[in-house]
Amino acid sequence: MAETAAGQARTAGEAAEARAYGLTADDLRDWAPFSPVEIYWALKHDVTRAAAGRWAREGLRMCDTVRAIALGMTPEEVRPWAGAGFAPCDAVEARETGVPLETAAAWREAGFILPDAALLIHDGWTLKDAVNARYAGIAAEDRPAERTA
Amino acid sequence: MLSEERNRLLCETGPATPMGELLRRYWHPVAGAAEFSRQAVKAVRIMGEDLALYRDKSGNYGLVDRHCPHRRADMTYGFVEECGLRCNYHGWLFDHTGQCLHQPFEETRHPAGRFKDKVRIKAYQVQEKAGLVWAYLGPRPAPLLPDWDRFHSRGYKQVAISEVPCNWFQCQENSIDPVHFEWLHDNWSRVLRGEDGPRAPAHQRLGFDEFDYGFVYRRIREDTTENDELWTTGRVCLWPNCLYTGHFEWRVPIDDTRTLSVGWFIDELPGDMPFEQDVIPCWYAPVRDERTGRWIDSHVMNQDFIAWVGQGAIADRTKEHLGESDRGVILIRKRLLEDAEAVAAGRDPKGTIRDPGANHRVHLPIIGGLSHPAPKGGPRPFPFLAGQPEEVVKELAEAWRNCAAAASAGLTAGG
Repeated sequence: MAETAAGQARTAGEAAEARAYGLTADDLRDWAPFSPVEIYWALKHDVTRAAAGRWAREGLRMCDTVRAIALGMTPEEVRPWAGAGFAPCDAVEARETGVPLETAAAWREAGFILPDAALLIHDGWTLKDAVNARYAGIAAEDRPAERTA
Repeated sequence: MLSEERNRLLCETGPATPMGELLRRYWHPVAGAAEFSRQAVKAVRIMGEDLALYRDKSGNYGLVDRHCPHRRADMTYGFVEECGLRCNYHGWLFDHTGQCLHQPFEETRHPAGRFKDKVRIKAYQVQEKAGLVWAYLGPRPAPLLPDWDRFHSRGYKQVAISEVPCNWFQCQENSIDPVHFEWLHDNWSRVLRGEDGPRAPAHQRLGFDEFDYGFVYRRIREDTTENDELWTTGRVCLWPNCLYTGHFEWRVPIDDTRTLSVGWFIDELPGDMPFEQDVIPCWYAPVRDERTGRWIDSHVMNQDFIAWVGQGAIADRTKEHLGESDRGVILIRKRLLEDAEAVAAGRDPKGTIRDPGANHRVHLPIIGGLSHPAPKGGPRPFPFLAGQPEEVVKELAEAWRNCAAAASAGLTAGG
């Protein structure tokens, strides 16, 4: 008789999750340490366990892995971003929105995390305009970006 | 930070606005079913549309334009009949589809004219489920009203509704903002209680996962690990305008500067004997302390309301500074904008259910699973909203006592 998923789940909630997604104990064991919802998302998008593992080693969660694969990325493309101190998922966001690493770094320096910056860049904002808009009403000499520049 | 245009796009929900069109692809809870034992007709305003919600004498709900198409009288002063709602001004009767069924004087003077066949009132679909009345304001065919698994849990259920004077989207951003809990609820509550002890365990790490009906957010705090359910199961930002943590909190736009906070709560009861609740009570929770004129700060959701209204009637996101704690917020902004584009292109947005076979006890992640033990010694004081009516407190206590007695008798009978 097959072992129930509950036997492999770490918590009661995870056991309920596994049951709801029709996952077996074997699934949970094979896909450990992924959570049931991540396993479900992977299976739904045809991500193999091996591929999921490769992306996870680069620090990506499953929903970002699915996006990365859809964009034709390789796990190695995450490394320069992680190496530059960005969150691994930022590599996917940057690829999706066409933001180069140097641009992202400049925006980060001015205080804009990548997903925030990417939307502004997409809308046609320059970094200078974004900084000016952000500090509207604050004297130029009091603006942190100006002090560090 | 968002441009003014993006901010407007996310916040405006009136007819023909991108976000209004998106939200009109979902069912929204707009009232408690229990309200219709006290009144047959109720004025509601949803996404900027003034409407009359009623239950006729056959028990069917209808949601129609607030103004009669005849001479624009207020339909909420109309009266229900076996089928439909009749305007109190000249007696025109409309059914739940909006069809005019009767025009007394027209039919007397000119019965062959059948003027009634040429008149309709704007009408939307309505359903009752889980003690709530749900409305669908979008194009047909409507998706299915989700049958969430939690609706079927055993326990004492209640609905609490509040009107929050700010835009819906700043309320919903709160549904994917784990760090606020540490400060707005834990640390601030300690301050409010006058405690001078250590601060709440700080957040160390956040994670976000997408699933069919929204996003799961996960957190690791100083006092938890990757094996804790706050990480393994997480909480749910339920698409497009709800938070689910075992109870539901929908944020339904009344218009662009007011939001109907609709809460659905369940209290576990002792034992496992069947428990039937004839009526799920619905009550309106105050947001302002009438004595002081200040917002009420004693309960969890009231604290949320304070944060939201504090952001302004419509939060000015051109002036914000987003940090690492806001990744979830940016995630849902982006996804909503994408969904609005999908709708404009004629596609279904995220999380709509059209397959009846897939709409049976639809699972949502929940910490601890669906069955939680009842608290020992009696129900817990209601932590979410101030103003819980005494009759609800009493009814819950009675249900708890009855279930405890039945469980105890069952144990005794079973030896």
